[in-house]
Amino acid sequence: MKSDTDLAYDAASGQEAAFETLVRRYQGTVRGLTRRLAARPVEADDLAQAAFLTAWRKIGSYRGGSFKAWLCTIAYREFLQARRKQKPEVEFDEGAHVIAFDVSATRMADHIDLDRALKTLPENQRICVVLCVAAGLSHSEAASATGFPLGTVKSHVGRGVAALREQLATETVA
Amino acid sequence: MQSEDRHDDLTALFHAQDEDLQSDAFVERVMTPIYRRARWRTPLLFGAGGLGIGAALSQISGLWAALKAYSPEMGSDFSVTIDTMPAAQFSLESQSIWLAAAAIVILGCVALVVSERA
Repeated sequence: MKSDTDLAYDAASGQEAAFETLVRRYQGTVRGLTRRLAARPVEADDLAQAAFLTAWRKIGSYRGGSFKAWLCTIAYREFLQARRKQKPEVEFDEGAHVIAFDVSATRMADHIDLDRALKTLPENQRICVVLCVAAGLSHSEAASATGFPLGTVKSHVGRGVAALREQLATETVA
Repeated sequence: MQSEDRHDDLTALFHAQDEDLQSDAFVERVMTPIYRRARWRTPLLFGAGGLGIGAALSQISGLWAALKAYSPEMGSDFSVTIDTMPAAQFSLESQSIWLAAAAIVILGCVALVVSERA
């Protein structure tokens, strides 16, 4: 299996098929990230698509390192751009946030619990938890993507994870 | 170390969500405009570049003759007279226009590719 870096360089030389492999490899990560950040799933998929198209246009500027972090940074910036244009009264659509895919009832219940718990977090905590815990970026990669100081990212992740665990435990007991 | 704290249980839950999001339809949605664009972009760029290169190459022989006339010391024929100079200059200017046009076309294509990849 070709590495991300090799595929990215192939894509930069104009090989669309190499980029398609990267899209297949990271669609779950990027769609998951945008769904956790954006208000609605439809909007989230638009953001994910925009992120991949931006990545395709800028693939020549990829200089090695973690491709996932590079891609997640692009997706996060797409989210920020969209949020700037968004009307302030738009809030999370709890019903629409459920992932409508062929999954078991138990797994769906887990998804709903996790989504609900995630939405209780303050936005900056949620962003850091989504980038570091869900997308798997290191704290320094998340700091670079968001522009938050490294210490702030660590603090947000620590508090966010604690709050998330507490929420999930409460929902399990209930 | 706090900076590398792992939260494997939560990460596994998130990954399970991400796996359920795998979809061929989404890949197609992303790739369709990319493939569509590639279909006309490559022939267009190579066509324009080829025209530019062809125009430039077609002028080389004329340019050489003009340079010989313009700079008599370059050639073996030292019998250049004053009368030949204006014609040579005109010829050189005419060639230069073609060369400049070809260079503009080539640079335009290069700029297009670079800007798309930047």
